[in-house]
Amino acid sequence: MSDGTKRRTVLAGGLSVGVGLAAAPARAEASTPKTDLLTLVVNGRRVRVDVDVRASLLDTLRDRLHLTGTKKGCDQGACGACTVLLDGRRVLSCLTLAVMHEGSEVTTVEGLADGDRLHPVQRAFADHDGFQCGFCTSGQIVSAVGLLAEHPDLTDAEIPELMSGNLCRCAAYGNIRAAIAAAARLSREGE
Amino acid sequence: MAIGRPLNRVEAREKVTGAARYTADARLPGMVYAALVGSAVSAGRVRAIDTTRAEAAPGVLAVLTHLNRPQWHGTPDALRYQETRFPLADEHIHHHGQYLAMVVAGTREQAAHAADLVAVDYETRPAVPTLDAALPDAHQPVWRFEPEFPTLLAIGDPEAMLAAADVRIEREYRTPYYSHAPMEPHATLAHWAGGSLTVYTTSQHVHGDRPVIAGALGVPPDRVRVISSLVGGAFGNKTAVWGPTLLAAVAARQVGRPVQLVVTRKQVFTCHGHQPPILQRLRVGANRDGTLQAIVHHTVNGTPVLFDRPEGAISPTGTVYALRSVGVRVEVARMHMPTPATMRTPGDGPGMFAVGSALDELSYELGIDPVELRRRNHLAAHPLERKPWSGKQLLECYDEGARRFGWERRAPRPRMMRDGGDWVGFGMSSAQRLEHHGPARAVVEIRDDGTAEVRTSTQEIGTGNLTTLTQVAAGGTGIEPDRIGFRSGDTTLPESSPTYGSRTTGSTGTAVHLAALRARQVAARLAIADARSPLHGLPEERIGAAHGRLYDVDAPRRGETYRELLRRNGRRSIVEQGFHDLAGRDPRFSYATFGAHFTEVRIDDTLRRVRVTRHVGVFAVGRVLNPKTARNQAQGGIVYALGGALMEELTADPVTGRFIAPALTDYHVPVNADVGEIDVSFVEEPDYGAHPLGAKGLGEVVAVGVHASIANAVYHAIGIRVRDLPITPDKLVAGPR
Ligand code: FES
Ligand code: FES
Repeated sequence: MSDGTKRRTVLAGGLSVGVGLAAAPARAEASTPKTDLLTLVVNGRRVRVDVDVRASLLDTLRDRLHLTGTKKGCDQGACGACTVLLDGRRVLSCLTLAVMHEGSEVTTVEGLADGDRLHPVQRAFADHDGFQCGFCTSGQIVSAVGLLAEHPDLTDAEIPELMSGNLCRCAAYGNIRAAIAAAARLSREGE
Repeated sequence: MAIGRPLNRVEAREKVTGAARYTADARLPGMVYAALVGSAVSAGRVRAIDTTRAEAAPGVLAVLTHLNRPQWHGTPDALRYQETRFPLADEHIHHHGQYLAMVVAGTREQAAHAADLVAVDYETRPAVPTLDAALPDAHQPVWRFEPEFPTLLAIGDPEAMLAAADVRIEREYRTPYYSHAPMEPHATLAHWAGGSLTVYTTSQHVHGDRPVIAGALGVPPDRVRVISSLVGGAFGNKTAVWGPTLLAAVAARQVGRPVQLVVTRKQVFTCHGHQPPILQRLRVGANRDGTLQAIVHHTVNGTPVLFDRPEGAISPTGTVYALRSVGVRVEVARMHMPTPATMRTPGDGPGMFAVGSALDELSYELGIDPVELRRRNHLAAHPLERKPWSGKQLLECYDEGARRFGWERRAPRPRMMRDGGDWVGFGMSSAQRLEHHGPARAVVEIRDDGTAEVRTSTQEIGTGNLTTLTQVAAGGTGIEPDRIGFRSGDTTLPESSPTYGSRTTGSTGTAVHLAALRARQVAARLAIADARSPLHGLPEERIGAAHGRLYDVDAPRRGETYRELLRRNGRRSIVEQGFHDLAGRDPRFSYATFGAHFTEVRIDDTLRRVRVTRHVGVFAVGRVLNPKTARNQAQGGIVYALGGALMEELTADPVTGRFIAPALTDYHVPVNADVGEIDVSFVEEPDYGAHPLGAKGLGEVVAVGVHASIANAVYHAIGIRVRDLPITPDKLVAGPR
């Protein structure tokens, strides 16, 4: 009767038509999933893993390499929880496919400490209570490590803007800033 | 003394190294993956659902729909399940996103792909999309928490008092759909072995979840174990079992493998709780001297079509300020929306936005300073319980907050403070949260190696409770916190109070405290009775404990360690229980936590974007167990509410009611750069009437009143009163420039 109803019916129908016809080739291909043998250097260790070509780098780290420190907060590139260093640069591992990175070097939160010795940024997060639930923390810390590498002269005032890609719903932001500022000072003084 | 020390979190190392285990990190041999299919329409029915392509897709082990799901047991009502309908109950659709099918497959990618292949043929009905559309349905709710949380109440004769008051204001306030948006999406891993079920799940209350899961699956509760390791934030949306947890459990039974189900971010937004839109009408009457005569507070909130779920926004109305009469009424109006969930801070959050804003409006009407107006209406006793408040240092909070903030620099009228292109405004509000408590149990074990362990089912959701409870155990036993282990988040452990409603410190804290004291007492008695002990024969009250050692308080060098005592006596350990029961409080008083917020905003005259540049929060929560974690939590609560005041809103499509952009890209939670300087302090006075430790809840009161404080500052800056949150720039462009 109403336009709305009709439109929705068509939409619903359209959806299944799409599945059956228009999108059929792509779907058919995807439903015989290809795997690829991938070599990565993860936290300094060379690993070879057979991955589904559809798998994100994040899922590959978590599901295949059992490195669950890197978190999935959104799977949409919107939260920063999945941040890893890829060939030294910060990337959102949920937004990139593993197979695109043959031969790359990946550093995750598990790869920052030197044995039992925490990375200065990790130490600073612990001492400044730079988290509450801790779910965003791996991403915050890896992001901060990348940030400090890119900006050795980082000022305190720049931190909030440059860390705004990493959401923290617990909002430990003040302490996150303090932790990064302390780590930045430490690394400057250390030089 | 361990209590009151700014210790680092006990799990800090795990959290900074990535070793911390959350539910979605759990892995079991043979584990398979599930993915859900949600409804594309908001109201109607599944005419047909075609799962053949999904079933044929590689790796797929099962596809569950309402047509083939296993039988549920019990009824949602009897089990106090939070919805009135089990998942996949039938073909009817009551809200957008409603789960219609679940796919189980060998890998995550296979499950996600196969879920896409499920084709649904809908019969669509018109939806009630918005609160405004639902208003004609507004009605008195029927729900199970009456009269604990009343929806209708009157003290005195508010209508007559309003009519007689010197000044009256009548205003309408609105809050939108808010999402809890914890960073961790809900996750479940279900595993059957020999007729017993283990469920790893993101839960704020494992012992509360167990009977629901067991009941719905038709399994005796003692054959179900629920484990919630670390929780990646919750804010209320992990307080109860959601459908996918039940589905993962039945699917695991069906496929004979452990099933992991992690919902998507979109599903977190659509099907795992939110705070529904609330409309509040407030009429306030006062005399010229500022004394409040009457408040009539009438609210309507959206409720799911299947059941009544009132939001208690009237909670602060009759209990925060001295009033001669009050009338409150809560109504609900049915909308095609997903099930809401209690959200930090239920009732008081939205309620205090309205009451705190109305008080501010009144202050201008009367020409009385907003702080002074509140002082004049200070309330010494709980008006309904007719008992004096215990531990109410609200006046001190006003003083301390005003001093730290520099309130005396406030211009008396709006639009008087400028700094370059910015309008500057000051606002404030009171904060109050009733101190709820509940039964809680804990065990403390002192071992012959000089260490101790706390065992209670509490979940660490980010509040720092593993740390503060460790400090409590350290205080009780006299063993250093770094020698104390903690086991939590598991139904095999004694039942703590749930980790919601700010109950951990008071209730679980008391249980741990009593268990620790008892364990120490048993050890002391052992020493007294032991002829080889240096403490032999001493009266019990002369025995103190510190640094893992019992000693004579009159001659501290005389004593021995727990280790020596237990080893000599051939005791492996001392295990004692503590129990917090509801009768534990001094019945002569009423209990709450209190606070005051002061906010400075700056508003760019051209962009009209509001920035909170400074915020001062002062709280009276009894004794503070750990100032480091407490301050962090308080700042977090303030920012949480700041998001609701300035930027957060789930926008519903005006025709279908569907959330237009259920994603973190569009639902703007505050980011680092949104947060200015937040100064948190405490007026610290132990409240021993409330709990033997003198400490009370913190996580919720800190977020109460922030919305009003910010809205009041916005008005003070720019002269525009925004009564519908969030205060986005579009609502400020209309005003004078
Ligand atoms: S999970 Fe990658 S940005 Fe959120
Ligand atoms: S610590 Fe919980 S989200 Fe950042």
